[in-house]
Amino acid sequence: MTPILEFQNISRSFKKGVPVLNGVTFSMTEGEVLGLLGRNGAGKTTLIRIAMGMLFPHAGRVRVFGLSPTDEPVAVKKRIGYVAEDQVLPVGSSIAELIALHRYLFPSWDQTLGRQLLDRFGLSASSKIRHLSKGQARQAALVCAVCHRPELLILDEPAGGLDPAARREFLETSIQLLNREGTAILFSSHHMTDVERLGGRIVLLDDCKVRLDRRLDQIHEDHCVAMIPRSRMPDSAAIESLPGCLRARPVFDDWHAVFEGTTDTVRRRLHEALGLDGIRCVSVPLEELFVELVGHGRLVEAS
Amino acid sequence: MQLLINPSDELPIYRQIMRQITEAIAGGRLKSGDKLASHRELSEQLVIAPLTVKKAYDELETLGYISPQRGRGTFVSAQLPELDRADQTGQIQQSARRLLTQAYLAGLSLGDVVKLLNEADRELTGIEALTPVELPAKPKETK
Repeated sequence: MTPILEFQNISRSFKKGVPVLNGVTFSMTEGEVLGLLGRNGAGKTTLIRIAMGMLFPHAGRVRVFGLSPTDEPVAVKKRIGYVAEDQVLPVGSSIAELIALHRYLFPSWDQTLGRQLLDRFGLSASSKIRHLSKGQARQAALVCAVCHRPELLILDEPAGGLDPAARREFLETSIQLLNREGTAILFSSHHMTDVERLGGRIVLLDDCKVRLDRRLDQIHEDHCVAMIPRSRMPDSAAIESLPGCLRARPVFDDWHAVFEGTTDTVRRRLHEALGLDGIRCVSVPLEELFVELVGHGRLVEAS
Repeated sequence: MQLLINPSDELPIYRQIMRQITEAIAGGRLKSGDKLASHRELSEQLVIAPLTVKKAYDELETLGYISPQRGRGTFVSAQLPELDRADQTGQIQQSARRLLTQAYLAGLSLGDVVKLLNEADRELTGIEALTPVELPAKPKETK
């Protein structure tokens, strides 16, 4: 199957010599759901803007539906729905005017779906954008992003700044689109429970690169964190050189090492390679794994 | 049947669904021939990706607990998988020993454990026992 979205070796910096992305490669197939994770400033939005043709990559190649988003912006954007992190909507117009504009731009606009969504969100077509709450504005932006029935929906932090109820409604709509249209979704998020609900695949950006690219259930079932007392292993290099070790960081008196593999295999590996016994290995929820993979080490201050 | 999921649990959501359905079958709340919610219904009801539901159902089908019928939906299998009784008894014996070790180390008595087992049974079968089983006051005597 041809990928609907393809990043090949993408690099980009905003200040000379300080890359934000450096050799990012991954692709998405039709109907796939991909959660883009990473710390603030990891380059998620930059990557999304490159896919939208709003930024040029300094190196590498991006293809959306096999096309270059900067060379053929209309052909690409016709088939994409996009909600930006800080979506700016024209404040002076009403929702009805906003929708009329989108209907004019997108011939495939589905009016029934539009009305359904406005109903569900409790939005009135006559309200002015400037009178909408943050959540309502985001919902209006979602209506505009999905009613032309895109093949790929790109959501840049859809939940940012929304209350839990608004987040859930946004999620419900995304799930229904998945069910009814088979739309592929690329979304970035810091809400791990939302990531769990949307499921699919995770790409974690860290240090300008793809740190992890796995299916979500694989991450759950085949990763664990080993807590190794630093008194028994003064140096993390030996741990990090073990097969399957993704990262080791100091947390007070222990190394927290993220391993690929079940707790039993990792315990065995630690025993065989380093002669370490009785090491605590636990499988952890996604949020903890995220922190272990990209969080800073924590040391006790010298006393 | 109402399923409940917790997205921040370390157990993947598809496994949470599998566990609850097998529990319902074991406890008799779901019987052979009962119809399950469709992928789409369950996905929208629980607000989770349709593929997650599909994965749970596929695994349950492989294990023989449920079977899809073309055009009609998914049902609890007419012929539920039969676990080998002798084989299982051995394993359950081991689990029981582990359970009691954990309980005794935590300072629980045999009576406390029986109470917990009864509670679990009520949850599994969905029937509130009218007269809870009276427990021996001194669990040591029963050992």
